[in-house]
Amino acid sequence: MSNDVSNLEGSEELGGQKVRLYPVTRIQGRADIEIIFTPYHEVSEARFRALEVRGLDRLAVGMPALRVPQVLSRICGSCGPFHQLASCMALENATGAVLPAAAGTVRELLCWLWLAHSHLLSIIYTVLPDLALPMSDMAVRNITGIYMVEQEAVSRLFRIQAAFAEALGTVAGTLVHPAMVVPGGVSSIPDVRTLSHTAELLEGCEDDLRETLRLLEMLIKRDAQMTFTGTTLEGHYMAATVEGVPFPLGDEVTVKPFGEGEPVVLSHRQLLDGMVEAPVQWSYLVPVSLKGADHLLTGPLSRMNMGYGPDTKWADLECNKCVEQWGRPLDREFLAYMALMLEVIRAWEKSRLLLEEWSPAGGVACAAPEFSAASGVSVVDSPRGVILHSVSVDGSGIVEAYKVVSPLQFNCPMMNRHLSGIARKVVTGIEITDAVAQRLQFAVRAFNPCVPCGTH
Amino acid sequence: MRPWCLQGSTGDERLMYIATVALCACGGCHNSLLAAGEPFVSLLSEHTISFSSYLFDRRTISPSDVVLATGGIRNHEELEIAREIERTSRKVIAVGSCAVYGGLPGARDREEPPAVSEGAGLPEMLENVMPLDSIVGVELYLPGCPPPPGLILESLKSLEGRYEPPHFDGTVCSECPRTVEVKPVKSWSLHPGCGVPEGSCLLNHGLLCLGPVTRGGCLAACPLEGSICIGCRGPSDMVLSSQLHSMYSDMVKYVTLSTASRREKVEKKLSAVLETIYLFTRRDPVIRAKVKERVPGE
Repeated sequence: MSNDVSNLEGSEELGGQKVRLYPVTRIQGRADIEIIFTPYHEVSEARFRALEVRGLDRLAVGMPALRVPQVLSRICGSCGPFHQLASCMALENATGAVLPAAAGTVRELLCWLWLAHSHLLSIIYTVLPDLALPMSDMAVRNITGIYMVEQEAVSRLFRIQAAFAEALGTVAGTLVHPAMVVPGGVSSIPDVRTLSHTAELLEGCEDDLRETLRLLEMLIKRDAQMTFTGTTLEGHYMAATVEGVPFPLGDEVTVKPFGEGEPVVLSHRQLLDGMVEAPVQWSYLVPVSLKGADHLLTGPLSRMNMGYGPDTKWADLECNKCVEQWGRPLDREFLAYMALMLEVIRAWEKSRLLLEEWSPAGGVACAAPEFSAASGVSVVDSPRGVILHSVSVDGSGIVEAYKVVSPLQFNCPMMNRHLSGIARKVVTGIEITDAVAQRLQFAVRAFNPCVPCGTH
Repeated sequence: MRPWCLQGSTGDERLMYIATVALCACGGCHNSLLAAGEPFVSLLSEHTISFSSYLFDRRTISPSDVVLATGGIRNHEELEIAREIERTSRKVIAVGSCAVYGGLPGARDREEPPAVSEGAGLPEMLENVMPLDSIVGVELYLPGCPPPPGLILESLKSLEGRYEPPHFDGTVCSECPRTVEVKPVKSWSLHPGCGVPEGSCLLNHGLLCLGPVTRGGCLAACPLEGSICIGCRGPSDMVLSSQLHSMYSDMVKYVTLSTASRREKVEKKLSAVLETIYLFTRRDPVIRAKVKERVPGE
């Protein structure tokens, strides 16, 4: 571990020196930020480097396909259920298994609950310290530091998180890596008592959600004045959609430019075919772009840019208020933090709608997939963005090839360009102060990077 | 012997310096801990965080009374971090099956990692994944993928001296409300088909559930939802108790009995999915010895 953020590597690159910030804190996984200087001590480039790789996608090859979704859930401790879902959907696509309607509803409910819970953990442990104590000493810039001075605000967030956690525990059994989603459906359909308990838990969150939203709005306004450097996001944003509206299990992928230009709508297969992988020598992460869209953004801010649709009135209203205040497109990094909160509200509304309209619990849980030599592809929009899984199986149900693409791979080129832009404005020499290191990490955290997800 | 002894150094005998460290891990164990929510943060606020890249912006590993370490050791950087933990911490809790057994990344022998340039400064991969206790003296083992939030929290509290450390010597089956009958099975599968009736043992429906040989403590969360146990908490005390037991051999025995099947037939079926039985534990030296002994060709 480096003792100092200004720890010089001493190696030569581009005729200048490199400074390494290691590790990047309050993100999922282990990574560093490398700042490369010109011989005149000006920033040439800053880049986020993934330092770990596990290769779980390679582990899937040769394994019985029916076992693979539970294994690939372990790609990520945060978006694991979405990897599991994507894996199941890719196998369903390969086998032609038709998902029973009740199983589809259960999956949708689980998606919203997982999404909200994942975002809540990000808000509590990542966002709140950045927004509430941006200039404080690192010793207190964390959730316990805030908890000791503003316990009620933190407790409100924890009450919401606990409600979603209990709802997930009730419906899916476990919070992380749940086994409930299986190829062809789900392993069981929740009974009426489970569903009504879930509805009660969610109903009790409304006041805490309102209070927390107001708090975050206030903090983001303040933070915008303190941290905005004039650097905006440029390129394209992307989300899984249904008729243009973001939806985690959407059957199409919409790609729109931040600037002028028409949106492009792709099928899951077209997304796979249009991807360009560009491995780099300095990171275990393989950046991915699309033909005609070199710099992509996927995740909460992308979905917020596309709008939430009229069925979630509260989230839609708040989204429109943001657009009024900040203008369209929403291309400032700190708005990603607002997007997290608005998606919690959207997920809360969506879950409640599903529970209100739930028709007969106890339908068919699953269709048993039958294997022939085939391949399948699927896309799921996870809390951190678009996940793509592609699988080939043989006639006996053994996996022959597997490919996983994660949100960080899509986001990496845009994140590094943005990080370089910020570094050029705030880094004034090879001595990196804590405030500068914090600003650079803020630029990274706005993309909510998940390294285990990105390198599988 | 570790030189550091921080507890009590400030005059407060209860104050502990707590760290969390992630090695080769997916982050699930950390997320499970974070999902413990307010009780966890309340506990931390009574102590001091010495290091945690998930929670805290400090970049150096500082001396700690308790380290919650997740993940196995897969590259040289993780090896260095593990050595640093060993030098600077008093008690280490190995959280999750990756830390305890090596976990999923050790399920197969090492494959070639992605090509990177030598001067890039990326950590070089080790020959194979190692469990945490290959390098670090572990005070408490907490297997699971991930262990439930409450279990991690209870372990942490136990090191405060408030509770006995949690230990579950039973199996997942012992916590499962489903009832097993002795009846034949037509075919075996890893998939629940159109679903399994509530209350009925998954093995009775031909599902290869590892509940009979897997350590309990998870409240049988997966079988309860109709999905098979994949053995993420590793072998139960019974399996570990002698050289005559292994997950494979005990599973053969249990399935033979509960399904009134011929032993040879069950052995053949389970041999075909042997890798899935040892998904989480293959890198553990004790388990590897048993696998070699029990299953020819492994």
